[in-house]
Amino acid sequence: MERRKTPGEMSAAELADVLAQVRAGDADAWGELYRQYAAAIFRFCRRALPTREDAEDATTEVFMKVRQKLGTYDSSRPFTAWLYKVASNHCWDMLRRRRIRQDLETGDLETLPLEHPDPDQLERLQAEHTSKEVRGGLAKLPDRARLALVLRYYADMSYDEIADTLGVRRAFVGVLLLRARHQLRDALSEGAAGTRGAAAGSNA
Amino acid sequence: MNHFDEMTALLYLEGQLDTEHAREVSAHAAACGECRELLRALQTEGLWLREALAAEDEAIPARLAAVPERGGAPWGWIATLGLSAGGAYTLWSGIVIPWQTQAAQAGFTQGNLLTMLFFSGAFWKGWDAMRSLMEFMAMATLTIVVSWLLRRHWRRLTTFAAVMGALVFALALPASTSAAETRHGDPNFTLPAGEEVHTDLMVASERTEIDGTVDGDLIVWSQVVIVNGHVKGDILGFAQELRVNGPVDGNVRAFAENTDISAAVGKNLMAWTKVLNLEQKGSVGGSVTVGSTDASLGGTIGGDVMGFTHAMEINSTVGGNVKVHGDYLTIGSGAEVKGHVRYEGRNEPEVAQGAKVGAIERIIGKSPSEPTYRGAHFYVHHIILWGVGFVYGLAFLLLMPAFYADATAECKKYAPAAGFGVLFLFATPIAAVIACCTIVGIAVGIATLLLYAIAMYTSTIFVAGWLGEVLLGARPGMGAAIGRLALGLFILHVLRVLPYVGGWILLAAMIWGLGAMVLTIYKRLRPQLATAAAV
Repeated sequence: MERRKTPGEMSAAELADVLAQVRAGDADAWGELYRQYAAAIFRFCRRALPTREDAEDATTEVFMKVRQKLGTYDSSRPFTAWLYKVASNHCWDMLRRRRIRQDLETGDLETLPLEHPDPDQLERLQAEHTSKEVRGGLAKLPDRARLALVLRYYADMSYDEIADTLGVRRAFVGVLLLRARHQLRDALSEGAAGTRGAAAGSNA
Repeated sequence: MNHFDEMTALLYLEGQLDTEHAREVSAHAAACGECRELLRALQTEGLWLREALAAEDEAIPARLAAVPERGGAPWGWIATLGLSAGGAYTLWSGIVIPWQTQAAQAGFTQGNLLTMLFFSGAFWKGWDAMRSLMEFMAMATLTIVVSWLLRRHWRRLTTFAAVMGALVFALALPASTSAAETRHGDPNFTLPAGEEVHTDLMVASERTEIDGTVDGDLIVWSQVVIVNGHVKGDILGFAQELRVNGPVDGNVRAFAENTDISAAVGKNLMAWTKVLNLEQKGSVGGSVTVGSTDASLGGTIGGDVMGFTHAMEINSTVGGNVKVHGDYLTIGSGAEVKGHVRYEGRNEPEVAQGAKVGAIERIIGKSPSEPTYRGAHFYVHHIILWGVGFVYGLAFLLLMPAFYADATAECKKYAPAAGFGVLFLFATPIAAVIACCTIVGIAVGIATLLLYAIAMYTSTIFVAGWLGEVLLGARPGMGAAIGRLALGLFILHVLRVLPYVGGWILLAAMIWGLGAMVLTIYKRLRPQLATAAAV
């Protein structure tokens, strides 16, 4: 699967070079690495976590972890994937610590009381909403549902990686994703039914 | 095949179905418009989701634009500077000023402690003397390490002489341009009566006897040193037993178990010793500074007497003032003190009849080995000390979070950390002092020693972090790390004020933390070293 490229991404050789320097304690190399990936990690956190403040804090903390754990990065795998893995583990830890109760409430997702979608309606929904509104709707989802969508459709993680991060069985990942999509559709429809237009961007 | 459900459609689109199942879905979709519609709608939704998530319509917050380590730096540095100021102030007000006050009260009239220590009295012989003292301390440390390493061969006493000889040789190498004469005992060294050495004389042997004349300084490492001849410079003696029976025109600086002076010392006497005995026929022209268990002073002393001793007995004529810290002070009948006497100690001073002494100013209930646990000042002082330590640790944690975390983690490797700690505890000052004495120069050496002191202070922070982690668990996040640091430092501070064991606990913590620091630095340097080696 093709990974999303960060704008101005370093070549593999450049990256390997910078990583070696960072491991050697070179502050400049660390700065370069940070500047290269801070935006991507912030965007990831911004989508994975409910508020902007959380995302800012998380970004700083993720980079602290990255620096600590850089030794465990296996250079045969894509660096961005590893970075997202660290970030997603951190975000999920953060959410889980905060929202244990909510997770228990939404824990019984294995049964799928989902109505079959109407393709036309789905297309209309897609056409009517801006990216900003979609992300606004995303922020209203339960943590696990939101994170599942972000891991899959933003960080391009495999089902295995998602299962590992969220601590669920692999077979359950699809269920989680489908359920999350339904929840997002519902959130967007509700928003549209209510204050149409005015609601746009309220969560940004 | 019947119509498939949405779940199957999603898994099909995401490539999560096994080949056979996927083929069935694909075949069905080819035939069924309704299911094709569903697939298409879901696929579009997926793309739409990716697009919405990828859209970059939000700027990166300014506070993330800067690299965290650097970003935290400005106020981190302010905190560090504030801390340094606080630390310096605490040092100054807590240690230096009381010392100065006490010294001034005891009649040590030099206005400034530094002046007193370095430019006058027992220490003064210019910076050369300082250098020789530092060389001396470095050699002493090295001696201890080497003799410890050679302890298996200790039975052969000549080893001692060999080690000493090697050390002096090492010392003599950088100093070869200076006009010192170096003698090695085999195993004993005697400068016969009538013979005169016209430069400084450095001796290392098992037993040293100086019957002749030394027209310079005598620097000696020996088990037993007996000086019967005339030393026109200073004596710097490191020995088990040091006896001065002949006149010394300069100062006597003794680091010995027993120090016995029964002749005239022209300038000052400074002795760090177990027992100091200034005999009745002996005399000291300047002041006497002594740190010992027992000190017995007879004869005449031209200047002041300052003593940190368990028991001090004075029978001399003292031209200046007497200032004693200790447990017992006895002033014999032969004593005559022209200045005043100030005694800070636990027991009532004993003054024999006939002693010519004015009123003794006594500060009761204070013994140097026993800190006062009562009184608000004690607690305030320690809270300030803890605060300074905490602010320092905080600055460190915020400026170098990764290093902090690594070093704290290294603390868990008890044995290597302790080992490296002990090694560097000894090796660093030696390296620094060697740097002082040799090509590198005194500035680098002193800077290294200062850094060493800072490192020793810093090392406790990591131990505190480790301690906090043991007690509170390793929760991630900056807040938790700060909490652990605060608690760890607090416990360390409580432990270090414990009587008797406190100092040892602090030393152990320092060694341990220092080792962890060294391990961390080593690990960070290692890839670089590897790269350097490859190039």
